[in-house]
Amino acid sequence: MAVALEAIALNKRFNNLQASNNVSLAVEQGEIRGVIGPNGAGKTTLVNLVTGVYKADSGDVKLAGESIVRCDMHEIARRGLVRSFQVTRLFGSLTVAENLRTAFLARRPTDGGDGGAQIDSMLDLTKLRPLANTQAKKLSGGQRALLQMGCGFMVPGSCYVLDEPFSGINPVIKDSIIEMILDVNRRHNATFLIVSHEMTIIRRLCPKVTVMMEGKVAAHGSLDEVARLPEVIAGYLGKALE
Amino acid sequence: MSAFASTGFGRSAITILVAAAVLLLLPLVASSFVLHVATIGFYYVILAASWNLLAGYTGQFSLAHHAFAAVGAYTSGLLGYHWGISFWIGIPAGVLLSAAMGFVLGRLVLKMRAIYLAIATWAFAETVHVYLTADYQFTRGELGLSVKPLFGSVDPLKYYFLFLGLTVVLLIGMRALIDSPLGYFMRAIKDDELRAKSLGIDTTKVKVAIFSLSSAIAGLAGGFYAHYTVLLSPQMIDFSEMAKIVIMVVIGGFGTFLGPIIGAAPVQVVMTYLQSWGEWNLAVFALIVIVLMRFSMEGIAAVFTPLWRRMWRDG
Ligand SMILES: Nc1ncnc2c1ncn2[C@@H]1O[C@H](COP(=O)(O)OP(=O)(O)OP(=O)(O)O)[C@@H](O)[C@H]1O
Ligand SMILES: [Mg+2]
Repeated sequence: MAVALEAIALNKRFNNLQASNNVSLAVEQGEIRGVIGPNGAGKTTLVNLVTGVYKADSGDVKLAGESIVRCDMHEIARRGLVRSFQVTRLFGSLTVAENLRTAFLARRPTDGGDGGAQIDSMLDLTKLRPLANTQAKKLSGGQRALLQMGCGFMVPGSCYVLDEPFSGINPVIKDSIIEMILDVNRRHNATFLIVSHEMTIIRRLCPKVTVMMEGKVAAHGSLDEVARLPEVIAGYLGKALE
Repeated sequence: MSAFASTGFGRSAITILVAAAVLLLLPLVASSFVLHVATIGFYYVILAASWNLLAGYTGQFSLAHHAFAAVGAYTSGLLGYHWGISFWIGIPAGVLLSAAMGFVLGRLVLKMRAIYLAIATWAFAETVHVYLTADYQFTRGELGLSVKPLFGSVDPLKYYFLFLGLTVVLLIGMRALIDSPLGYFMRAIKDDELRAKSLGIDTTKVKVAIFSLSSAIAGLAGGFYAHYTVLLSPQMIDFSEMAKIVIMVVIGGFGTFLGPIIGAAPVQVVMTYLQSWGEWNLAVFALIVIVLMRFSMEGIAAVFTPLWRRMWRDG
């Protein structure tokens, strides 16, 4: 199995805080990997290092075997690494349809057209069609998160890094997002790295998880395996999972 | 035709052409003075619309736009004055120089936050101002640089048609730009640059390209303006000129396509007739701008949006 996304000994320090401490992980092509850990463990920092938002103090990131650690954020995206933000980011003054179109145009395939068909089907999939001409800043939190995910799926990526895609979202929308993830994973063999606190969803989606604590990788393994580890129970879960 | 009229671009282009057709008839009823005011009005529409691309659409609040108009004007003026070079070469040379200077300035201010960008571009404009004043042996400074009129005389009629044509072509071009992928990227960058990058947009390239393009358009307008006013002075880079452009766009509607078009004319006309008030009329407008920026950035254009929808019968 080929490794799609690899972090190698990443370090990142903020003032006196080692937010990322020698973090390594490898996600295989087509795998859906979960990342769990307590607040402040460095999960978002890892996402930002991998996607080029932060420059690592040391270490390397490889996408499909090529180092991307020195690439600009937009180059990383053009190589097919798509991300979502924990605190949803959208173009607030653009409408829902314009947000989708911008996402499409930004990574438009060479023979891409204007994205009209893709926008149509995404409006159906997300059930956001009645809001197509509404400015994104007027949406509810759940709708915003859903639209952010929809934007990520406008042009299929090879690898998705999703930071808390389910937080603060109602169960119906959660299911739509899970469906979109599984669909892209199946059809395009896309790789996923999903940061989430939602154990039920993680169990359903991710055969393997990475546990982060205090800037370090504390464990890898299936959710049930890591949930039995005493240090994970002590440092994160508090008690064993049901 | 009906398919064309169902696109945003098609509708804007049709409206611009219809308005232009009406304006073609103005010389039948208007005096020379009115035609002169209208011609200068077109000049400001071009400056306001091109600054709006940079500030209103891309979020780069430059205060150097008037300086690029002066670069275009002085380039053609100086080439003609010193070497007798015709405007056929002078105006394109001014456009290229404005574009190149816009490119360099755009790169320098790339990473600056709004307020620093405004200050840095203002400083650039002041530098050009000081140069034009100080190197008077070359530029003629406050004495004024005389420039040959484009059409032999300065009778406004021909210039009116020229500036009308130029404005129509440039506005249609800008509308096409705004509706193109680049236009989406511009608005995306203004809203959230980090998000734009994360989607794969090369924001550096877009910002510098728009800086360069809007400067080139200002240089083009300035070049033609030079050959109409026939006497250039560094007053072209007085801060009040920049303030005028900002006022026109904000009153019309910042970041809207219609804004600079409907903002420039009334402001220019009112300012022409209030000239006796001197700087005070600028102060009054500045106050209006502050109030507008506080409450709504859409200016007069906000009133027109519903009318526009009704006119094309969508919901
Ligand atoms: N830009 C920054 N500047 C300074 N400190 C930062 C920065 N980004 C993150 N940190 C710090 O690094 C630590 C790790 O933060 P991070 O956001 O990666 O945690 P997380 O695992 O995503 O937490 P959560 O579950 O709350 O989202 C925190 O203590 C945070 O305050
Ligand atoms: Mg986080």
